[in-house]
Amino acid sequence: MPFVSQIKRQTDYNLYSSTTPIVIDNGASNFRIGWAGENDPRVIFRNIVQRPRHKTTGETVSIVGDHDTTLLKYFDCSRSGPRSAFDSNVVYQFEIMEYILDFGFDRLGANGSEIDHPVLITECILNPVQSRSKMAELLFETYGVPSVAFGVDAAFSYKYNQQHGICDKDGLAICPGFTTTHVIPFIDGEPVYKGCSRTNIGGYHVTDYLKQLLSLKYPHHMARFTWEKVEDLKMEHCYVATDYASEARLFQKGTKEAEEKTRCWQLPWVPPPVEEPPSEEEIARKAAIKERQGQRLREMAEAKRSTRINELENQLRGLEFLLQQLEQVEESEIPYFLKDTGYVSRQEIETALAKATQSLRKVKGEPKGEQAEVEEKTDEKYPLVNIPDNMLTQDQLREKRRQMFLKTTSDGRQRAKQKRVEEDLERERKNQLDEQKRLENPELYLGEMRTKYKELCEKVEQRKRLKTNGNHSNGNGMSGGVGRGERLNAAQRERMRLLTTAAFDRGKGEDNFGAKDEDWQLYKLMSKDNDDDDEGPDEDETELARVSSRLQEIDPTFVPKPESGPSQSAADMPRSRPLTKEDFQILLGVERFRCPEILFHPNLVGIDQTGLDETAGVSMRRLSSKDQVLEERLTNSILMTGGSCLYPGLSERLEAGIRMIRPCGSPIKVVRALDPVLDAWRGASLYAAAVQFPQQTFSRMDYFEKGEDWLRGYQFQYNL
Amino acid sequence: MEAELINAELVLPTHFSFKRIQIYEKYPKGQPRGRWKHLKQILQAENYQNCPPDEPNYVNIESPPSMHPPLRICDITGFEAPYHDPRTNLRYANTDVFKLVRSLPNEHVQRYLALRNAAVTLK
Repeated sequence: MPFVSQIKRQTDYNLYSSTTPIVIDNGASNFRIGWAGENDPRVIFRNIVQRPRHKTTGETVSIVGDHDTTLLKYFDCSRSGPRSAFDSNVVYQFEIMEYILDFGFDRLGANGSEIDHPVLITECILNPVQSRSKMAELLFETYGVPSVAFGVDAAFSYKYNQQHGICDKDGLAICPGFTTTHVIPFIDGEPVYKGCSRTNIGGYHVTDYLKQLLSLKYPHHMARFTWEKVEDLKMEHCYVATDYASEARLFQKGTKEAEEKTRCWQLPWVPPPVEEPPSEEEIARKAAIKERQGQRLREMAEAKRSTRINELENQLRGLEFLLQQLEQVEESEIPYFLKDTGYVSRQEIETALAKATQSLRKVKGEPKGEQAEVEEKTDEKYPLVNIPDNMLTQDQLREKRRQMFLKTTSDGRQRAKQKRVEEDLERERKNQLDEQKRLENPELYLGEMRTKYKELCEKVEQRKRLKTNGNHSNGNGMSGGVGRGERLNAAQRERMRLLTTAAFDRGKGEDNFGAKDEDWQLYKLMSKDNDDDDEGPDEDETELARVSSRLQEIDPTFVPKPESGPSQSAADMPRSRPLTKEDFQILLGVERFRCPEILFHPNLVGIDQTGLDETAGVSMRRLSSKDQVLEERLTNSILMTGGSCLYPGLSERLEAGIRMIRPCGSPIKVVRALDPVLDAWRGASLYAAAVQFPQQTFSRMDYFEKGEDWLRGYQFQYNL
Repeated sequence: MEAELINAELVLPTHFSFKRIQIYEKYPKGQPRGRWKHLKQILQAENYQNCPPDEPNYVNIESPPSMHPPLRICDITGFEAPYHDPRTNLRYANTDVFKLVRSLPNEHVQRYLALRNAAVTLK
């Protein structure tokens, strides 16, 4: 049951006489205030204060307890979370305490000039005197309280249950609270402080543990796990396992029982709208648009082409006209004539003309044509090549050299062409051979192809790995950051090594570098040209491509391996998957009993103290009564009280745990308080209503006269 | 301030008739608050070391370290953890969890370790 605060302002404050004590259970989680003698506290709220800033006015305000969270939208809560006045059950921030007391008294209906009632307020066991005196100071000086009494909440709860016959006058009170867990032995109805023990673990730690675990398990829903929500989840679902290990094994095996025990919290989830396939009309419309655009582009290209043709034709005509004109001009007059045309000689004009015709042809899309024809004429083109040097003049020699150069280049081109043709033929032959093989025995052929493909794949991959030096010994595999050195390939690394050794060798010992010829070899090794990084695809790769394309043709089931490693694509897969209902489910399985387990094993959250059952043993040891009968009486009346003992299964577990540390056959009885949460306040209320209560208080006069040091000796009698 | 807020009485008033010293007198606006002490400082000021050792006080009632064998559970799943990864220091239950452990980013590893107060803290 989730906690609901009661903060309605009471109206009957003035009906109580000034002798009626006000009872306050000042717990680390909840603050409860009410009138002595009544059965229930009037006002209950969470013992926290927030001091946010108002968004529009900018003033800092105090908000006590938990309120409707929707109202907090007017405030800027980002800078101050909820704060508590407690640290390990000890009040240490009295400013916060004052806000809380203000709120508590205000809601109780206080309206006089001071709080004119005795106050009974609870504190933790063996509260440090400073905290106690500060509290007294606050109550006396600020609120004008006439007298104050301090008591221990667990003791009040024990006394209350004793009166109701739940437990005996000798017994143990085990009180797992919000921030601490106390074990208090009672002898003759009085707590024995000597035997008390405290473990600094409580409901706060359980909730925090659950919150952390859930946000680590579901990092996408982290924002959902607010403190209040997780607290509710804890109260609703958590239980204590009778035996942690066997319970966990149940879940590990995934048995049906475990499945039944798993709880599921469905977060609000709206299925994404189903995308309808586009209608016929839509498709047609889109196709039309595309077609129109294509048409426009084509038109544009056509227009561009025609202008270009026009231009070139004009140029051609101009050049032809120029040539015709040149026919009529004297040889010597040519330079003069050509002065303002930009050309220098007749030859130049001719070449320009040839170029223009060629580009015109290209634009018009006519075949190149005379390529072969040109080549036919090679011999005539290079007339000087075959004539010996000594028969030529100086100019002719130069010309010959030029011709030689042209001839070799064109020859080379021709050779390359021939080679290409031959290769084509070869490939064709191979394909035919393949086809023949396939027709002979398709199954065998397919198998062969597949093995070949696999082999090649491996080969290529290995090569790649060698090149990139895929050092996968890094334990984190893909996820781990790749170190600097691992990006270098083998050759680069070798160079690095050489450079560093060379640099390191300098300056130590005598320098005899260069004495031998081999020494200079080092520079060659160091030079960057050594890297054969980009040599293009090697034959293995081309063969692989051929085989895979062939396989794709003949084998419908064949799927070529993706280029980038399979891991990457696998990582990409879930991201593209649409979110389903299951993604918005918070499953509580092992967490249900793992979190309360920290009460028994505080080392799970790094607190090196005894667990609940062991602490009971520690308390008995501290009593050191050596009285077997008394110890048996104690274990025969173990009372669990405090908010964290509400988990189902706690009493069984506690009993089993205490049985383990007690002598065989000793009687053990573990009972839960009537109401573990409110019994402390009820006990205090009963106590404050008793006639003897005024003798247990100390007054304002005492405080002013005796000072705070007197509080050190202040001891409360719980037996009235 | 919005009417909604005033109706809900969300904000604590600064003046109460039943108080002798109002909060604004004790903690004037804009002035540094008097230093409150942390629990540790409070305990130090108590001078427990001067008290007789058999007299119970806040510090010595604390329970001692456990004598039971510590429960070692898988940091991720909560199952029994027979293994321990020396690289991340996380405890794990089986090979599947180990794979997960190795694929966890360091930040998460540290958060898991922080749960049992074993994270690396930089000072």
